[in-house]
Amino acid sequence: MAYKRQFYPGDSIPAKNRRRYMDPKVKLKKLRDVPMDDVVRIMGHRNPGEDYKSIHPPIEEGKEPECPIRKLVVPIEGAKHGDRVRYIQFTDSVYFAPISPYQRAWMYLSRYRGVDTGTLSGRQIIEVRERNLEIMAKEMIDNETFDPALTGIRGATVHGHACRLDENGLMFDGWQRYQWDAKKKEVVYVKDQVAIPLDRKISVGKPASQADLKKRTTIFRADGVDMREDKEVTMYGLRIHKLRTLGGYQPWAFKE
Amino acid sequence: MATKQKLFMDACKKKFKEEPTDSSTKYYCFGGWKQSKSKVEFQKTAEAIAKKRGIPMLNEDIGVPLGQRSWMPYQLSHTDIYAEADDLHCVNNTAIQQAWDDIRRTVLVGLDSPHQTIERRLGKEVTPETITAYIETVNHTMPGGAVVQEHMAEINPALAYDSYVKVYSGDDELIDEIDPRFVIDINKLFPKDQAEQLKKAIGKTLMQAVRVPTIVGRIMDGATTSRHAAMQISMAFISSYKLAAGEAAIADFAYSAKHLSINMGTMMPARRARGPNEPGGIPFGFMADMAQSDRVHPDDPGRAALEAVALGAAVFDQVYLGGYMSGGVGFTQYATAAYTDNILEDYVYYAIDHIKSKYGGFCKLDPKDMDKLMKLGDEINSYALEMYERYPAIMEAHFGGSQRATVAAASTGIAGAMATGVADCGLNCWYLSMLQHKERTGRLGFYGYDLQDQCGSANSFAYRSDEGLPMEVRGPNYPNYAMNVGHLSGYTGIPKAAHVARGDAWTANPLVRVAFADPALVFDFANVTKEIGRGALREFQPAGERSAVIKG
Repeated sequence: MAYKRQFYPGDSIPAKNRRRYMDPKVKLKKLRDVPMDDVVRIMGHRNPGEDYKSIHPPIEEGKEPECPIRKLVVPIEGAKHGDRVRYIQFTDSVYFAPISPYQRAWMYLSRYRGVDTGTLSGRQIIEVRERNLEIMAKEMIDNETFDPALTGIRGATVHGHACRLDENGLMFDGWQRYQWDAKKKEVVYVKDQVAIPLDRKISVGKPASQADLKKRTTIFRADGVDMREDKEVTMYGLRIHKLRTLGGYQPWAFKE
Repeated sequence: MATKQKLFMDACKKKFKEEPTDSSTKYYCFGGWKQSKSKVEFQKTAEAIAKKRGIPMLNEDIGVPLGQRSWMPYQLSHTDIYAEADDLHCVNNTAIQQAWDDIRRTVLVGLDSPHQTIERRLGKEVTPETITAYIETVNHTMPGGAVVQEHMAEINPALAYDSYVKVYSGDDELIDEIDPRFVIDINKLFPKDQAEQLKKAIGKTLMQAVRVPTIVGRIMDGATTSRHAAMQISMAFISSYKLAAGEAAIADFAYSAKHLSINMGTMMPARRARGPNEPGGIPFGFMADMAQSDRVHPDDPGRAALEAVALGAAVFDQVYLGGYMSGGVGFTQYATAAYTDNILEDYVYYAIDHIKSKYGGFCKLDPKDMDKLMKLGDEINSYALEMYERYPAIMEAHFGGSQRATVAAASTGIAGAMATGVADCGLNCWYLSMLQHKERTGRLGFYGYDLQDQCGSANSFAYRSDEGLPMEVRGPNYPNYAMNVGHLSGYTGIPKAAHVARGDAWTANPLVRVAFADPALVFDFANVTKEIGRGALREFQPAGERSAVIKG
């Protein structure tokens, strides 16, 4: 029997969104188009137009040791060119941000190759060869997993995900890397990921409404969809715990 | 969701201007670090120091701009004391330091073995009078007094006023005949039922609670405690029983004092860069026994568990991991979440009410009934997480996910322990909380939570030594726990909760339990949060200070 890949249980909105974000066959909705040069500026690893810095010669020029794994794995573009490994890190608010840190990790690992992710309570870092990173970063900023008010692009001083929202509905940021443009009713970045001031403001667009966010979010909350309302998700969590408890490190050996 | 007044409300109202249920606020308008009294004080102090020494030091304007949101005070749980976070940093808080000092400088040394040596090997009589004479002598030697050589340097008693030796036993008749100044009186210090349990467990053993000077532990290390005690005990035996300093039997006293004694911390592997008797080696059950709330408040098992959590947070998370893992950061914000603002209090007392109303009271849930245990865990954990969602004030108070993960899991673990009377069931509920928390919110704590908390269900009942131990004797050095700050507080509270729910007088060791009931200790282990609060208010008077030998 051919294995059919499964992504996540449940029929609630957060559960469905988790499945959608993870499934690489689902094309995520593009909600904005932040120019690539501006994405590069916000990340702050290089200046737009500047050459990629490399940490080794292009793979084709080097003498790779004889290795069956190297033959199996096709290097991503950045690896082929010897790019540095650089990062983008997103902070996701608890107040119905479209996506949350673990779902980011699952999504990245399901959709991309050559990535290294790290997951914490408020933030999620993804590290990858630089030219691939830029493509990914633009996708992530442009698509439905990003909300200008509730998703932060933060390299350092990352907390704020659990703080209340400010009077304009923006997530707290100790460095104030982004601001509310009252005229345009948009969020603009004035500092890069590590809070170095940008030469000019970069708009990342208009925040979504709470109603819209509640449809897009992956977060279960008592004032949204409580996880216990989704019986399958609840059962799945309890079952994992029970099997691990009673089966130890051999959960398959436990017969219910 | 319970409709009762939430225990965290007072703290929320003091911390924030907004209603606890408001989900929006103002930022960037509070004047930065200048809104904090302690930051202003620090800046002023640092400027004066920099001027005097010619080298710059702390500068509040370096790095991230502090104070971009309202600067929150912290209420020490179940007290009226509010403090700034700076004053809860373990390097700034003398009470936290003294809690650890009092633990480190304690070693329990039995008198049965030396008395056998004196009587059987040396043919001398041991009587209550000779015992009292010995204890009087050891109270001279332990703080650094000389008894054997006539030309000997001694420790200035003003530096070592906290050093002494007391004895205790389950043998009331023997204790009655010893000078009460040297006795930890189980009958007076414990409620009757607890005293009876303790005396039965201790039996006729006569145990010394040795307190070496705080300053000795600070200058040297935890491993020094038993050495210091052994030397001074041997000297006291030589003097009080008129023995020869060179005779072979003396080695027995030193040997038993060093190697048959009970250190508070077990040995850790060399890679931990610590000797024996350091906080990483203290079993959770020992720490739970040191926490004395249930001795003074026997009818409040919630407080007992919470005070054990607080002690674990201060000593394990702040002092030990705050140094071993984080250096000067001290893990203050991280660890204090478990003992400030009555948030964990609210969850634990909710759990107690729930156990009483839905599960027939403490220890009524069959520990083998996994489905019921999970049901309880789900209910308590959901309550805790829901509170964070319904009250943005406490979400913001615990602005790090690790804080919330610890507090939710601690309340769930304490609930499981109290409902079953089994600490391992509590631990299992801890891990249920972690899995559910991650699933519900899509986030948990820092990277460390990916390790132990994702595999912990599988080892929560493991007793094989390379996989697990009963919770009472696990400790910070248990493999998965060695680098996970924020957990060790809850891990201390869970075995405590199980045993107070059972009505037990101790968690892991009756001898440790009695030793920390001693009112002569500098830190009051029955009022942990209050003591830490006094430290934060700078009212706590620690031992081990050097001012007695500094002019001016």
